[in-house]
Amino acid sequence: MLEAVELSKSYGAHQALHRLNLRIDPGEVYCLLGANGAGKTTTINLFLNFVEPTSGTATVNGLDVTKQALESKRHLAYIPETVMLYKNLTGLENLEYFAALSGLPAYSQAELLGFLQEAGLQAEAAHRRIGGYSKGMRQKVGISIALAKKAKALLLDEPTSGLDPKASNEFSELLKRLSDRGVAILMATHDLFRAKESGTRVGMMKHGRLMESLSTSDIGHADLEQLYLRHMHD
Amino acid sequence: MLFSIMRNEWRTLLAERSLPAIGLLLALTIGYGIYNGQAWVSFMRESLAATQAEYAERTQKLQSDFLAYEAGSKKPVGFSDPRGASAVGGTSAVPYVALTPGPLAALSVGQSDLYPYYFKLSLRSKYLTLSNDEIENPVNLLSGRFDLAFVIVYLYPLLILALTYNLLSSEHEQGTLAMTLANPVTLKTLMAAKVLTRGLALTVLSLAILVVAIFGLTLTGNGVAWRLALWAVVMLVYGAFWFVLAVGINALGRNSSANALLLAGCWLCFALLVPALLNLASTAMYPVPSRVEMIQAMRNAGKEAQQRGSQTLARYFEDHPELAPAGGGRPDFASLSTAAQQEVDRQIQPILYRYEQQVSAQQILVDRFCYLSPAVLTQQALNDLAGTGIGAYRHFNQQADRFLKTWQDYFFPLIFARKLFVSAELASLPRYVEVPEPGSDIVRRVLLSLAGILVPTLVLTVWAIRRLNRYRLAA
Ligand SMILES: Nc1ncnc2c1ncn2[C@@H]1O[C@H](COP(=O)(O)OP(=O)(O)OP(=O)(O)O)[C@@H](O)[C@H]1O
Ligand SMILES: [Mg+2]
Repeated sequence: MLEAVELSKSYGAHQALHRLNLRIDPGEVYCLLGANGAGKTTTINLFLNFVEPTSGTATVNGLDVTKQALESKRHLAYIPETVMLYKNLTGLENLEYFAALSGLPAYSQAELLGFLQEAGLQAEAAHRRIGGYSKGMRQKVGISIALAKKAKALLLDEPTSGLDPKASNEFSELLKRLSDRGVAILMATHDLFRAKESGTRVGMMKHGRLMESLSTSDIGHADLEQLYLRHMHD
Repeated sequence: MLFSIMRNEWRTLLAERSLPAIGLLLALTIGYGIYNGQAWVSFMRESLAATQAEYAERTQKLQSDFLAYEAGSKKPVGFSDPRGASAVGGTSAVPYVALTPGPLAALSVGQSDLYPYYFKLSLRSKYLTLSNDEIENPVNLLSGRFDLAFVIVYLYPLLILALTYNLLSSEHEQGTLAMTLANPVTLKTLMAAKVLTRGLALTVLSLAILVVAIFGLTLTGNGVAWRLALWAVVMLVYGAFWFVLAVGINALGRNSSANALLLAGCWLCFALLVPALLNLASTAMYPVPSRVEMIQAMRNAGKEAQQRGSQTLARYFEDHPELAPAGGGRPDFASLSTAAQQEVDRQIQPILYRYEQQVSAQQILVDRFCYLSPAVLTQQALNDLAGTGIGAYRHFNQQADRFLKTWQDYFFPLIFARKLFVSAELASLPRYVEVPEPGSDIVRRVLLSLAGILVPTLVLTVWAIRRLNRYRLAA
């Protein structure tokens, strides 16, 4: 569903991503680990065509994201570290707007409220302005947008950073449900515990290179941390 | 898609509560502008009515005086005979030549407070009947009067810029742009929707206010409909220019404050700097002879002509043998002074000619460089539609000159023939019939100005679309 082939990105002389080869199939949850500046966000931005690759290709559902930019975005949903929405509009209005942007036929009010509920937002919050939302609440609206879009691939950039443990746990539950529905998920994160819990695979990135990629079922919590630290050390 | 974005934009606009404020500002400024223009037009109309009343009273009295002379109940008194052609054609029966304000004159004062809009005729050059220093400072591109045209040329763009300076940058700064562009929507569509929403809101708002305001004016005269229609088109195209400029600046990818600064700079340049520089350049390159210079020349010529006395008259008859009285004999005072006046007028002719040359040179310069500023073009187009532009005054002056010539040609031979008028003849003196400037001339000029705004707007559109295509989110 998501595939990178020899994908590279340089900013001048600085190589932010070096020849990334990665394939994420439907139902897989791939967690990208790595220190600050390792190239995780760059990878996600490349899939979104927010930045142009220096070389290599990124495809979504077989569509080259630079050549079929609009078409590829029909299959993508994106949740950044902090979901930024229109402050003066309510959660429901924001969802309605972004759902309409996805190009799908319009949802009814009840359906939209259903998505918000599924994402875990309290019913009374839906009609309040986003300006008064907490970070977690905004994140939930972000998830409801992804749900409404019925995307085949989900790109998450540190979605749980700053969420309380309960919200974070609920988030993992949601990811599980989405992956059960066959959504391919790429998530950049610093949370080793979450990666092990909700990921099917983890990759470790350093200085723009994917150093290691393994299945979470093959490794325990402690070993994952050891491996991560060993990679980051040298 | 476009409609979804527009609806969302509309919602955020409403939520920001900026529209009511802008609507109020528009209503106040448009209302005040129209009130101001209307006050000025009323003043002009009253002045013209006063001149007509004065003329009617004067000619009526003249008529009754003549009847009295003819009945013998009254003796013509005075230094020269009041029945003489010189007295009748020079003072007692002279009409006014006036430019009646057009149907939309209240919407743009234009040049009408700079140029004389009526002359009281005499047998002299028409410049000599003007008071104070009206001869100077003929080119004034943007008038300072607070009328509707002022609101449209200066304030309307500011409102547009207030609504658009952060069209894209604010989305970037809020972080909503990334959320939006993760969807199958291009930046072009997004910006088009934003511009359309604001453009529609502003256009509907200002047209509604205009309709209400103009409704109270009861505009009459011919061509109200097409003038108003073109007025709206000019406004629309001028607004489009500023919208597209804002999109282009936003597409540069700078932050909101940089955008605001750049756009304020553009406004300053187009609305103030270019017209000021054009004014300065035209008057510096082609200065008109000063009033003082003309008065001096008149004095000298006058003194000389008086000293020579009958010599002047003799020379005048040499130049105009057809005017020489058949009988010869001692010249009367009227012939002498008319010849002397004509000599003065002839001698200051070079100065007047130079004045007109310089003014037309200034105008050519302005006509060529006005395309540098859509604000200047808009002002000119609105003036043209209101009938208060340079073109209208040029047309009026030509008419006035032509009628003066008719008047002089009628009276001069009679003066030298020492003609005495009788009451019955007073009604058949040459009459001034105002011919309004042809609508086709006005439309042609307005379309030219419109093209001058439209072309840079289209160029800017192409440029803005190119920039938007190259715009990178994570640059
Ligand atoms: N627009 C840019 N111009 C220049 N260099 C950039 C740009 N964006 C990212 N980089 C560089 O690319 C490298 C990778 O950045 P990236 O944001 O992908 O890291 P990351 O793994 O997401 O880090 P973090 O964990 O802090 O989010 C960094 O060294 C960063 O400085
Ligand atoms: Mg990052």
